[in-house]
Amino acid sequence: MTKAVATISPTRMELIRLRRRIELAQKGHDLLEQKMDALMMEFLGLARRIRVKRKEAFGKLLEAHRKLLRCMAWMGTAETIQASLETARELELEVSSRSIMGVRVPMVEEVRARRKPTERGYSLHTGSALLDEAALQFEETLSALCGLAEMEEAVRRIGRELERTRRRVNALEYVLLPRLKSMVAFIAFRLDEMERDNFARLKRIKAMLEGREWRK
Amino acid sequence: MKCKIAAVGDLETITGFGLAGVTHLHLHRERAETLEKIKALLSDPEVGLILLTARVKEELSEELGELLKFKGPLPMVLTIPDKEGYYPPAVDELERLVRRTAGVEVVLG
Repeated sequence: MTKAVATISPTRMELIRLRRRIELAQKGHDLLEQKMDALMMEFLGLARRIRVKRKEAFGKLLEAHRKLLRCMAWMGTAETIQASLETARELELEVSSRSIMGVRVPMVEEVRARRKPTERGYSLHTGSALLDEAALQFEETLSALCGLAEMEEAVRRIGRELERTRRRVNALEYVLLPRLKSMVAFIAFRLDEMERDNFARLKRIKAMLEGREWRK
Repeated sequence: MKCKIAAVGDLETITGFGLAGVTHLHLHRERAETLEKIKALLSDPEVGLILLTARVKEELSEELGELLKFKGPLPMVLTIPDKEGYYPPAVDELERLVRRTAGVEVVLG
């Protein structure tokens, strides 16, 4: 801080310039703080929704695994895996992105995970009803998981942005603003000091002049 | 934008998601191989979502941590429990993130 102070020239021009910089920094600080508040609200809301969604999706997944195991026990592991390999594996996600307070966040538009047994592609002849059930349950799980993935990704990105914003707010609040303020105080002090100097000098000159006049 | 899905995990997990129509499947056998596969999936612009079982994630946590930190918005990566419902809270970086940024304890599990 002292080093920064030592390098500036104590002029009125500099003072005005610094005051303007403080104003700008303060405005930036306030804006960033507002952004942080908005992000935080979004962040906590999402975190809460994730909690519910997780329970739902993971519950579905557990059920799907149970159905798959039943199917494996009934049809045989190799046959089930074979059926899985025969399945048309062309499922596509429609993904776009949206922006929350300037943070790019992926958004799953739609998942058409549910299919009819005939669309799946494995042979209906060798597959059993248990296989259909397991496949259906996994399809449903998948659409739930897509929603969850979207939210988790959003929370992760918002969290990172939040940290970055907080760092900037703190940098402004605890480093830049105090430094600028101390510089302003320094210049103001120097200017006042010079003012007083000048005043004393004028007084003295005046006295000298008057003394000469008085002597005349 | 159309994207494909990928799943990495144990046999049951990939069999099940294969039945559901997931395009890229990878059976986790050894670290190096799986890591290569995940790297390839992460850099593939066609892939929109990667499902990882918690067990794989835990096993590869050191290498994955860096990878996941610096990836773009896509593909999304989601950690899921495996057939036994194995999903330890220790893996949950999301809860940690919430605690660090919001300063409040939020239980997501």
